[in-house]
Amino acid sequence: MNPRKQHLLIGLIALIIPGAGHLIQQNFQRGLAVLISIPLLIGLACWQETPLVFAGAATVWLWSAWDAWRASVGRPTKTTIVPFLAGTIAVYIVALAATDIQPARLISGFPSIRPILSALTSPDILAYPTQDKIGTAPILVPCVEPLPRPDVQGSRQTILLPSASCAAVDDTVRITGLGFFPNFEGEMWWRNPIGDLQRLTKDGRPQIFKTNEKGEFSATIKIPLAVPISALPVPGQTQTHQIEARQHKAYGQLQPTETLRLVVTKMGETLALAFLATVLAAIFAIPIGFLAARNLMGAGKITLAVYYAVRAVLNIIRSIETLIWAIIFGVWVGLGPFAGTLALLFHSVAALGKLYSEAVESVDPRPIEAVRATGANQLQVIVFGVIPQIVPTFLSFTLYRWDINVRMATVIGLVCDAGIGFLVIQWIRLGSYNAMATSIIAITLVIAVLDYVSSVLRRHILTGVNFGKVKTFRQYAFRIIGVFVFAGLFLWSWNVADIRIDYLVRDAGNGLRLARELLTPEILTRPTELRSISAEIRTPRQSCPADEVMKTDEGPGIRLSSTCSNVGEPLTISGEKLPPDTRVYIRWQFPDGGELRVKENCCDTDADGRVSLETRVHSLADSEKHDGRPTRISIQWPEAVGGFQLSEAIKKTLDLALITLLMALIATTLGSLIAIPVSFLAARNIVGTGPLGSVLYYAVRTVFNLWRSIEPMILALIFATWVGLGPFAGVLALTLNNIPNLGKLFSEAIEEIDMGQVEALTATGANRLQVIRFAVIPQLIPKFTAFILYQWDINIRMSTVIGFVGGGGIGHQWRVWVQLNQYAAAAVATWAIVAMVWIMDYVSSRMRSRLV
Amino acid sequence: MLTVEKLTKVFPGGIVALKDVSFAVSKGEFMAVIGLSGSGKSTLLRCVNRLITPTSGRIIWDDTDITKARGPELRRIRRRIGMIFQQFNLVKQSSVSTNVLSGRLGYVSPWSSLLGYFPSEDRVRARRALEQVGIPEKIHERADTLSGGQQQRVAIARALMQKPQLILADEPVASLDPVLAHAILQYLEQLNREQGITVLCSLHFLDLVHRYATQVVGLKAGELVFQGRPKELTRERFREVYGEEAEMATLGKPLD
Repeated sequence: MNPRKQHLLIGLIALIIPGAGHLIQQNFQRGLAVLISIPLLIGLACWQETPLVFAGAATVWLWSAWDAWRASVGRPTKTTIVPFLAGTIAVYIVALAATDIQPARLISGFPSIRPILSALTSPDILAYPTQDKIGTAPILVPCVEPLPRPDVQGSRQTILLPSASCAAVDDTVRITGLGFFPNFEGEMWWRNPIGDLQRLTKDGRPQIFKTNEKGEFSATIKIPLAVPISALPVPGQTQTHQIEARQHKAYGQLQPTETLRLVVTKMGETLALAFLATVLAAIFAIPIGFLAARNLMGAGKITLAVYYAVRAVLNIIRSIETLIWAIIFGVWVGLGPFAGTLALLFHSVAALGKLYSEAVESVDPRPIEAVRATGANQLQVIVFGVIPQIVPTFLSFTLYRWDINVRMATVIGLVCDAGIGFLVIQWIRLGSYNAMATSIIAITLVIAVLDYVSSVLRRHILTGVNFGKVKTFRQYAFRIIGVFVFAGLFLWSWNVADIRIDYLVRDAGNGLRLARELLTPEILTRPTELRSISAEIRTPRQSCPADEVMKTDEGPGIRLSSTCSNVGEPLTISGEKLPPDTRVYIRWQFPDGGELRVKENCCDTDADGRVSLETRVHSLADSEKHDGRPTRISIQWPEAVGGFQLSEAIKKTLDLALITLLMALIATTLGSLIAIPVSFLAARNIVGTGPLGSVLYYAVRTVFNLWRSIEPMILALIFATWVGLGPFAGVLALTLNNIPNLGKLFSEAIEEIDMGQVEALTATGANRLQVIRFAVIPQLIPKFTAFILYQWDINIRMSTVIGFVGGGGIGHQWRVWVQLNQYAAAAVATWAIVAMVWIMDYVSSRMRSRLV
Repeated sequence: MLTVEKLTKVFPGGIVALKDVSFAVSKGEFMAVIGLSGSGKSTLLRCVNRLITPTSGRIIWDDTDITKARGPELRRIRRRIGMIFQQFNLVKQSSVSTNVLSGRLGYVSPWSSLLGYFPSEDRVRARRALEQVGIPEKIHERADTLSGGQQQRVAIARALMQKPQLILADEPVASLDPVLAHAILQYLEQLNREQGITVLCSLHFLDLVHRYATQVVGLKAGELVFQGRPKELTRERFREVYGEEAEMATLGKPLD
């Protein structure tokens, strides 16, 4: 074959089988990339029904054929940017469709968020106690002859006198009031005969009166039309309305509101939960940390097995978010602070165990060698060589965890009745936006303060505060006081967190059932069809036949204790040879076609496929309407037909897992796009040390720090109200959360730029843009990419739970399944979450280690 | 001809880095600048290509007042002055070829350079520059994978790309071992002799000064304390510049 034909053949093969053209030429990297990406893109396009994505797939496909041909003739192209762009754009088109991004909803949904936003500027913190003075006077509308006595009395303390005792609508009446607060304003109100209150208005504004120094006033009011036209009195009749003059006066000193008191109490509970969980987790995690340290456990086969087992369990626990554990423990021991503490504790033990083990693994062997060289024994080596090295890191990790636990404890109440998050979700449901705003502001402030405190403490610990020696009496006293304070805090927290260890035992059945179902996810199911068998039941009026014998030798059978009974007589229905351990439905079937369950939530067959139900003959069985036709009793059960299939839970989970990944992708992308330009404003070496630069620097930094303290779960709650439930709300919440987090990391990277490189390029005569392009951007790209990957990783974790508060993704479906007691389905989603988090964790850490 | 007249630099915070420094360098000289750390050597070199703007005084180079230049004019001056640094100052994350090509930034079209495009004659020139410094095979590697001596060669290649008439070398061998130090300085000497490029080089070691320099200026606390031929720089004069510890100031035994 001539070479020309051969080249064309390669191109043709590449056109028929994507990637084959490259694979033939042994360019495996490009070949595999094409081979994988084309079915992937087509799959995504079919999944979200986005025809445009087919164009992307086609572009990659055609490019691959062209590239294969070019390579075969010996002129390989450098245009990999084409398929890369086509693929990226296609993925984003799918992602935008899947996560339901509709920016217009930010505008159309604005009215529903406005009360919340305005409430955030006026939190419910302090208020004056108030005292009211209300004067009322009856007035009859319209005037009739003779005028009846009004059926309502006027007020006692205050006197309100209308100039007429009756008037027609739109008449004006002069009102004189006595005995009100002197020199004080009040409002005029009107109460109709059924008690509805409305403000009286004058020229469209609420009518206001002002008393003189004796507490008297007079005002002219216009009689409003205060009842619907359909309820107006017939001619010759009248209705008694009331005029009300109301004064609302604050007195005394500002006092904290009930809201504030509740917020403070629940915030205490939140902090207690976090404290208790952290302390207990540290205690549990220390031995685990040693068990999970490779340098200690790597020696023997058994210890290595223990090491791998501990690591695996820690990783599984860690990849399931605290909020998911909170719901799981809520099912076990009941919602409340105890479940919350258990969830925080569980997740913290795993996280701290891993961090501790890493600290143990990174112990420097040289000091240990030095201590051993002095002739110390094993214990002395540990005390003098190992412990001084790990104590500061352990403490620092514990503090860091405490910081995270406080954050988690503030939102754990969104799913289980514990801590301040519970108030937030209650108040948003009740529409008490001012109260909700108070709690959100409190959460943000507490997190911001603790974030600061814990970072200062950590820096202190790592830069060497001496915990070992006590020198003076004062230090000794401080230490004793410290121990007592700690013990006191611990006891208080124990009390507040409502620890009931006995519940763990009492509800052990719950826990075991849950664990069993979570460990056996519903992967394959067989399609079922409903089958039924029935038997006749007659009443004596319907000419009882001789006992009808049911065939029971083969297949399922139904047996009634009596086939002929009067209404109300006891009846036992039993079925046999039914599928074992299956929910069956037992119903009355009346001759007119009506059906009725014999008993709600009934019944399950036993292991031998038998079921039995005692009841009484239903009164409808003897109805005259049936013309003597008999009633039947049926047993209905699902019977598996055909082969095993992937369960509905798997399909839904796959769909939602993909949406969750894409939510994280879009949020990371948007967050980065916004954070990159802003981060330059928060970099000291960019904005300079001038007055304007400093103001800008501190302003942006402060905003970042405060903003970072707003939990994404709370943002999701707000956005779900704004743009509606669904992935879009979740994406917005994550994006908004990513901007300050990434912005902070980015600006720190910018501050670490090596100025020598900038100087060198300036010295070549390059202009400012060229210096940025050649000396600054190459330094930033690897770091920024690493941070973005890291944030994507975090976003995937967060997007698994953001659905709990309306943010879409897999979390919502997970919670629904748990609420419906479909734990086997929830198990599928749980394992999908674990897998997703693991894979992303692995991919992102691999890519990051390559970059840096 | 490079003339420095009464050059003074006071940094914000009142630190006087240079005080009334005046000297002249003829074309084609290899001038060593000696002095303790903090004596003002780096400041002096950076004033010449205006990475630092002096507080007062003038620097005249071939009838152009460098101290008055601004904007595009300053960049045109800078592109004729190559500079090499103690820490090499390569863009570590970029490839060797990009680093070398960035020496042409003052010459090429600014906009196309932002897209990473360089004319093909520049690419050829870059390869030749790397051949000249002896590491042509490293052209596609990332700069931070190279050893210190190789990095300094890349930095020299970058400076060569500028077609410089003057090279400023700010302690070019302080981060290198003695063998590499001689290799780099020999290379500068070769450029100086064969292409007539004026070299201004700060050095720490008396034997290196004697071996390579044709002219020496000594700085002490920002003031000019010595100017002359290397042979006039006796041990005693050297000690005056460096203080008492100068005794051991030969290569391999740094002063600071």
